[in-house]
Amino acid sequence: MDDELQQLEAELKRLRPAAPSAALRVRLESDLAPASPVRAQRDEEHGVMRRSWLWVGALPVAAALIVLVVILTRRGSAVLPVTALTTAVSSRWESTAAPKEVFKPVAAENVLCAVSDDGLVTLDDGTAARRERLSYVDTITWRDPHTNASVRWTVPREEIRIVPVKFQ
Amino acid sequence: MGDAIHDESWKSWFQLYGPKLLLCARQWTRSVADAEDVVQEAFVRFWRHQRQLPGEPMALLVTSVRRVAIDFARRETRRAAREDFSAGGIEDNAPVFQTSLEGDDRRAAIETALRQLPPDQREVLVLKIWGELTFEQIGAQLEISPNTAASRYRYALGALRKELISADCHG
Repeated sequence: MDDELQQLEAELKRLRPAAPSAALRVRLESDLAPASPVRAQRDEEHGVMRRSWLWVGALPVAAALIVLVVILTRRGSAVLPVTALTTAVSSRWESTAAPKEVFKPVAAENVLCAVSDDGLVTLDDGTAARRERLSYVDTITWRDPHTNASVRWTVPREEIRIVPVKFQ
Repeated sequence: MGDAIHDESWKSWFQLYGPKLLLCARQWTRSVADAEDVVQEAFVRFWRHQRQLPGEPMALLVTSVRRVAIDFARRETRRAAREDFSAGGIEDNAPVFQTSLEGDDRRAAIETALRQLPPDQREVLVLKIWGELTFEQIGAQLEISPNTAASRYRYALGALRKELISADCHG
């Protein structure tokens, strides 16, 4: 690079880029401010909303379980691997939802809250079956071993069992 | 006490890097307002999640700014924004550099000349001079080889000199 270009380069380096506006600084201040009680309350509200979304999110899982159970029943499978399915779903949740680097799952419990019998139903192929509806509340707890902080995730789950009925 | 330290440290960081980041962001956005939005998002992201990463802060910040600018352009309107993104920014008339009474004509001439540069040369020039990145870092940012970055830089300086001489002759 010739001298003239080097001089130009040096001249450019002396120029100071224009400063960001004061409004940007104010916005940053609000973004980077330490958590205030108001913000904590907002986070709390957000947490409530997130929990309610979890309840909504549980519905498709329950629906998927129903579809799987119906398919397996139609295929004539006498044993309904609902427990296995539930375990698979739970473990998938654990593997995707848990922030693994910090928190480790330490406890999981399934509480059966209600059982209702929908009575006899007729499946598409004409066979009779009994439909049972089981409502669970699953609670998974993660803990950060370094700080001992824990996160508990509670989600409802509905299980529908189709039990083939034989009339003798 | 801890909060005060936290508060002051981001402010001093922003004091140091903010103007440079804004100039970089203006290469990839359509207006100063857009560039400020990009800098805000990128700086907050950097400060919260990337500050502890190894490496030079300015290079990390520029990476953050560029990624946010790309996301921003996509959010705006996908096709049109992409064209604008590749065409580069600072076409608006807001000053690029701090103004001073002394030598203000020269600064204005340089700003005008800078706007005339092809966007791919101008972004390399800005990242090199005011972003203080190496050609290797610029190459990594723009996904070009360091040699290409270096040659674009030389072309940019040459074109800038030509524009300034031409402006002197006419001015």
